[in-house]
Amino acid sequence: MAKKTYDLLFKLLLIGDSGVGKTCILFRFSDDAFNTTFISTIGIDFKIKTIELKGKKIKLQIWDTAGQERFHTITTSYYRGAMGIMLVYDITNLKSFENIAKWLRNIDEHANEDVEKMILGNKCDMDDNRQVQKERGDAIALEHGIKFMETSAKNNINIDRAFHELAEAILNKTSRETSSSSGVGNMNAELQDRVNLNTNNKSSMNRISQCC
Amino acid sequence: MGQFGVAYFVLSNLSPKNNKSVFVRSKRKRIAYKNSEGEVEDEDDLMPGTERESLARGMSSQKGREYTIRLALEKKQDQYIDLKGITVYIGSWNVNGQSPGSICLSEWLSRTNEPPDIYAVGFQELDLSKEAFLFNDTPKEAEWRDSVKAGLHPGARYFHVRTIRLVGMMMIVFVREEIKDQLRHIAVEQIGTGLLGRMGNKGGVGVRFELNETSMCFVNLHLAAHVEEFQRRNQDFHQIFNRLGFFINEKVKYIKDHDQIFMFGDLNYRINPATIDATKAKALIEQEKYSIILEQDQLREQMRLGHVFSGFTEGTINYRPTYKYDSNTDNWDSSEKNRAPAWCDRILFRGGNLTQIDYTSQPQYKLSDHKPVSSFFNAKIKVINPTRQRKVYEETLKQMDRIENEYLPQVTVDIPGTNQSSHSNRNEINFGKVKFMEPLRKTFTVANTGQVPVHLEFIKKLNDSHVCKEWLKIEPVHSFIMPGETCEVELLVLVDKCTAAQLNVGRDTLYDILVLHLESGKDIFITVAGDFERSVFGCSIAALVNMSEPLTMISPGKLIELEKGKMPVNHYDIPKELWFLVDRLYRIGMDKDGLFTMAGSQSEVLEIRDWMDTIPNTPIPGNADSIAETMFLLLDCFPEPVIPFSMHLKCLDSAHNYTACKQLVRQLPAAHRNVFLYLTSFLRELLNHSDKNGLDAKILALLFGKIMIRDQNYNAKANARVERTKATFIYQFLVNDDYGDDLWPEMGEDLVSFS
Repeated sequence: MAKKTYDLLFKLLLIGDSGVGKTCILFRFSDDAFNTTFISTIGIDFKIKTIELKGKKIKLQIWDTAGQERFHTITTSYYRGAMGIMLVYDITNLKSFENIAKWLRNIDEHANEDVEKMILGNKCDMDDNRQVQKERGDAIALEHGIKFMETSAKNNINIDRAFHELAEAILNKTSRETSSSSGVGNMNAELQDRVNLNTNNKSSMNRISQCC
Repeated sequence: MGQFGVAYFVLSNLSPKNNKSVFVRSKRKRIAYKNSEGEVEDEDDLMPGTERESLARGMSSQKGREYTIRLALEKKQDQYIDLKGITVYIGSWNVNGQSPGSICLSEWLSRTNEPPDIYAVGFQELDLSKEAFLFNDTPKEAEWRDSVKAGLHPGARYFHVRTIRLVGMMMIVFVREEIKDQLRHIAVEQIGTGLLGRMGNKGGVGVRFELNETSMCFVNLHLAAHVEEFQRRNQDFHQIFNRLGFFINEKVKYIKDHDQIFMFGDLNYRINPATIDATKAKALIEQEKYSIILEQDQLREQMRLGHVFSGFTEGTINYRPTYKYDSNTDNWDSSEKNRAPAWCDRILFRGGNLTQIDYTSQPQYKLSDHKPVSSFFNAKIKVINPTRQRKVYEETLKQMDRIENEYLPQVTVDIPGTNQSSHSNRNEINFGKVKFMEPLRKTFTVANTGQVPVHLEFIKKLNDSHVCKEWLKIEPVHSFIMPGETCEVELLVLVDKCTAAQLNVGRDTLYDILVLHLESGKDIFITVAGDFERSVFGCSIAALVNMSEPLTMISPGKLIELEKGKMPVNHYDIPKELWFLVDRLYRIGMDKDGLFTMAGSQSEVLEIRDWMDTIPNTPIPGNADSIAETMFLLLDCFPEPVIPFSMHLKCLDSAHNYTACKQLVRQLPAAHRNVFLYLTSFLRELLNHSDKNGLDAKILALLFGKIMIRDQNYNAKANARVERTKATFIYQFLVNDDYGDDLWPEMGEDLVSFS
């Protein structure tokens, strides 16, 4: 048999308080660049990045959300359909860490049940202003059974790793699901279903997992 | 003539592992070749060209994307391809139908110090028997192959790639064992140009393959004989060169499509007999003055004229003519025909990165009437550097992502008067103070700053039934902007009777977040805010009768309590605002022609509104028509109409029976009953002036029926029959004589002051 290559599209979401660096993390990952000017995200934006995992090319569509409190009701409606969610806090901002619990509740209420989660403590380059010890991040991650790492979009620490690990977790899950179901058709249907949930964006979300 | 079936195949492990995923595996068709070894797989079908834009917008299939990646990779080949030196040995011999016997071929084939990497050895006239011609079957094939094998350079182990034979033309290709795994797309093909223009006694046989990234083609030729037939030879060449096609994955590769081409064999070109006859030629040969004779060589001449072998090179000939000898001797042809000597046997090449090291003949072989020739080449082939290819591949992927990201729809939203650079109140439109019935407009600009046309649309938020709140209108709701162009969006805020009540009590606020969606792109949030100035419009009758101060003096919290019916004091029997309006009309409007049927002045209505909300020590402004219109507006804004919604149907049912109508009025809440009676007595009084104002009971009943007996849904379509029934209800109270006494018990005297 010829080798099968599935090309996959994963939809990921970045959430967390305003100013923790969600947009910078995305910008670092997609464009390998960093901008010190803070421009608050007012809306929902996404970028594309293709990565390779276990010989499969995976297209990541990463959605960046507005973190401001006043937009929370609206942004939660974008959770559905996400296959992975990055919860980001700022290690120099205690409040943003304390709110992680709130963001986790938000995910429970609005996201797919089987969504893969990861907690990121961003701005770890600013150790002098640290308000949240790494152990606290480890603890909350352990408590919820979620992966955790500290990152720095500015110094490009753990950014690629975070996305790769999240994508890998999703990939492992999908391949488990595939092997338990009867075949490729099922996998396609399921992924299609999962990716298509943002009805506003069908055209860009339709393509998924082609088996050739 | 037997045919070698069309076979296409690839040896495995050709490309670095990571390279495999570059190509989409598609519909597979393959014919396994019996000699091929290892895994067999073919190359992929490719999509036709994909447009950059559709790709970027995610509209193309993954396959199209793969194709684009592949094209991009090919363009950047020089970034990850190294040149590797190899050696190629070409031999050709017209053996005149002889068997090799015990002859040793190593003096012909093994003349180099280092073993060549590739051998391509061609024979002509391998077998001149009828059987070979008719059945294409000859024991000589195996005999010569074994002899060649035995004569190969002893310094290396060789892999037999292919043997192809058409009648007497045979070619055997060997490569060193070490490089056999780098061969791809090996194919053989043959073409006859002999009798009838296609028989196999003349023509060519070819072998082609790719060694790493370089395509190589070897063609063994036997062209038309006879001195005078040089044009026929040209024709044979063209037929072979243009028509010999190798099938690879259902696509044809011609000789010209190869990077490096070797064409050799018994080309049969002679020395022009008109200028140099046999005797003269033999004399010049004895003096080794080959160059003089070669000037009269037909092949050289035809090449000079551009008639044949264009683009090909032939090395310097520094050896005796290879034709024609008496077999088993070094003597020129002594037969009757006394053929003139000629260089019939030639080796030509074409393509880059080829250096001919030697080109010579081995006259010591006397088996045939021809002598064998050979040539040795240094060739450089393209080899992929996997590390660098990986890097280029990753860069290409990155570039594709960048294009895709660049081609996402992009707009900027420019709201006049706000700092759009960084503040968190970006995308916020503040209308400031908003008053009842006073429309306010603000516009903002959406500019397409991206590279693709943008379809934008304000969309509903999850769980919302509308794009925006009721007090807001967006124009346009969707639009299409070309790159570099802009679109103006107008927002209109208007608090009217439908929304005033909700805003008065804080059940709604002038705050909304609009979602501006770009098709296939992002969503932008736009916040709309304003401060609503509360007004008596929208307040309930129950709240108004409990309000002793102007509305502006009442705190929002107090108003909410009043609207909730907490702490009723009932300062007044009817809302004082209604009293002010009626009182004013009583003074200035009773004789006004067509009162209540003429529109008032919009600005006066707003002045009256402000007066009622503040109740200053000045006379109420406005003319009779404006006062009348304001009165309608006030009644229309009661969240609960004079006849409450709960009694609406009963009211309609009683309309034709005056007793029932009165019964219903008695059951109204006190304040509503008072308002009803107050208004109807005022209307009766108005009718007393009908000689001046021209009003009649029917008109007034219709006008006030509509507003006092309101449908719950503001936007319900007026039903003529229902409207008539409402009018009938009011009419009863305007024309019946026994109106009054039994309905008035609680009405305070201070309000009934028309007279």
